[in-house]
Amino acid sequence: MSYIPDNVANDNQKPQKIKSYWQEVKSRLWHNRPAMLSLSFIILLIISAIIGPFITRHTYYDQNLKLSNIAPYFEVYEAKTANQEPTYFFMNQGNFKLYEVSKNGELKDILRAKRRDMINKKNIYQFGETQVILNYSSLPVQLQDAEENPLQSIGTWWNKTYLFGTDSLGRDILVRLLYGARISLTVAFVATFVNFFIGIFYGGISGYLGGMTDAIMMRIVEIISTIPLTLYVILIMVVLESGLLAIIIAIGSVFWVDMARIVRGQVLSLKTLDYVASAETMGANMWQILIGHLLPNAMGPILVTMTLLIPSAIFIESFMSFIGLGVSVPMASWGTLTAEAVETLRSYPYQLFFPATAISLTMFAFNFLGDGLRDAMDPKLNNDN
Amino acid sequence: MLKYITNRIFLMFITLFLIITLTFFLMHAIPGGPFTSEKMLAPEIEAALNAKYHLNDPVWLQYLNYLKSVASFDLGPSFKYPGIQVNDMIADGLPVTLKIGSLSLLVVVLIGVPMGILAALKKGHWQDSLVMAFATIGIAIPSYVIATILLFVFALKLGWVPTFGLDEWRGYILPVVALSGFYLSYVARLTRSSMLDVLDQDFMKTAKAKGLSPYKILIHHGLRNALIPIVTVLGPVVANLLTGSFIIEQIFALPGIGRHFVLSISNRDYTTIMGITIFYACFLMLMIFIVDMLYLIIDPRIKLSGKKS
Repeated sequence: MSYIPDNVANDNQKPQKIKSYWQEVKSRLWHNRPAMLSLSFIILLIISAIIGPFITRHTYYDQNLKLSNIAPYFEVYEAKTANQEPTYFFMNQGNFKLYEVSKNGELKDILRAKRRDMINKKNIYQFGETQVILNYSSLPVQLQDAEENPLQSIGTWWNKTYLFGTDSLGRDILVRLLYGARISLTVAFVATFVNFFIGIFYGGISGYLGGMTDAIMMRIVEIISTIPLTLYVILIMVVLESGLLAIIIAIGSVFWVDMARIVRGQVLSLKTLDYVASAETMGANMWQILIGHLLPNAMGPILVTMTLLIPSAIFIESFMSFIGLGVSVPMASWGTLTAEAVETLRSYPYQLFFPATAISLTMFAFNFLGDGLRDAMDPKLNNDN
Repeated sequence: MLKYITNRIFLMFITLFLIITLTFFLMHAIPGGPFTSEKMLAPEIEAALNAKYHLNDPVWLQYLNYLKSVASFDLGPSFKYPGIQVNDMIADGLPVTLKIGSLSLLVVVLIGVPMGILAALKKGHWQDSLVMAFATIGIAIPSYVIATILLFVFALKLGWVPTFGLDEWRGYILPVVALSGFYLSYVARLTRSSMLDVLDQDFMKTAKAKGLSPYKILIHHGLRNALIPIVTVLGPVVANLLTGSFIIEQIFALPGIGRHFVLSISNRDYTTIMGITIFYACFLMLMIFIVDMLYLIIDPRIKLSGKKS
């Protein structure tokens, strides 16, 4: 709270100082490495969420049950045949099936066993004259050659067809993650929008008018903030059909409360300053004073609050999707991806790794950016509020 | 003081009334009756069910009846589990939720506050960086991700703790860690910044100049003042912890209120959704009220009239 009046005081003495304040903020932010790194991450995320889905071969809903649960990397084995190119294949560690890959790491198809020897717990695969035995009589499951010697892997290859692997229905995880990013960013955008238009003006009007209006408006805010946000969102989602629209309405309808409080506090302290009084004497009306004088001067805390509210909006969406109230199938959100991955966690941990990393990195980025912005706006202020 | 308290209580009742009204009409805004979603019921049965639960009455009459029964602490029967009252469900889940919640609260206060103090005292040293790194992780990684990773590593891979249930003491470890993670980080960060503010104050220098022992300065002058902003946020924190996280109960399969709530949502069990919402709201308001009262007692400088402005 303290820095805006400082800035205003400087402004009164040297009128050109206001520009250099923002320049100072910019340069301080520029030198804050985590904040800049976060900003680049967010920009990168936005770009890839927008254009990513267009440049991939896969869609978020195409299922390929033959190629389900394929990891992003695998141990490749080689089966040499006399006259032909060698066949490359790998064993899926989760379901013990063999898949053929091309030399450059593209997935080809699932391999069928020539013979299944259930009694000795062996599956026999034939590549030309070479025989490969999948021996599951003892753990760990082993690939053996015809003489039952363990096969040597020729190395770990990356999955070139599905960079992040596939899920239990054989859908590309990467493209689903990108769609999830779209949803998270849409929610972030809605939260920003609502904060900007409802939160700021609600708080601004309440603080500026004061008196009875302020009391009533703040009581309403108090009542809204008594129930935890998630509870509201859940209630609204129960009434509306769950889906992206419902999340947007739910978050939009209550997410401006914190912002309204902060702006009100700012306006309360700013409106006693001389320039407001002079604007009033000049005959400016409430809107002119709010938009022209009060809100620009409260921009610092508004921006900081915004960057810190965005991750919580993203979190609420993913949380809702995680418990099954979010986007509906086959649409993917980071929350639903995590929830789906939990079911197959034991066999395919990589399916959890990607959505969990995506959401955590995004949360980190917004938090660091918010912290950096706050430090940049006032290096002295290191409060959590 | 008395006026402030009566004012607060009055406001709490208004809030509660609004919440009941809101949830009631939200639930009635859902298209279709509570029994229409089930597999085709015979029309006679559906009519009988509707009659049994007074669903044929005009909405305002249902509303008045609901208000009346809530006022007598009766949240009505569950629509989906015949013969079970919502009150029973809450009574059934509350002990579990409270146990996990209060343990988490202990963890938050007993570990978060010292962590923040340590970070503030050693500002710029490795201890500070460590605490801040920890706190950032706790704030940024969603609780459900933390919970699943913990479950995967400690229960599935290492087998140190059971994957679900609270039959032995080790079963409490993961849910408490997962639930307290966020608030622990939050409180640690808050303690650090408020402690740093206090350490800068003149009265700290005065105390040092008087020749008080560093320990006494820290506890009597530093901590006491630094704790005030922490107590302020403790209200919502206590409420959120004690009402538990739906997710944590869901992931660890704990039979708490949160789990009943999530289940009732997927079952579309409207009376249970309403009942638990109202219960949550009451509980939260009560907690925030109690903490606010404590806050007034702890910090005698705060005048009630001052607080209102």
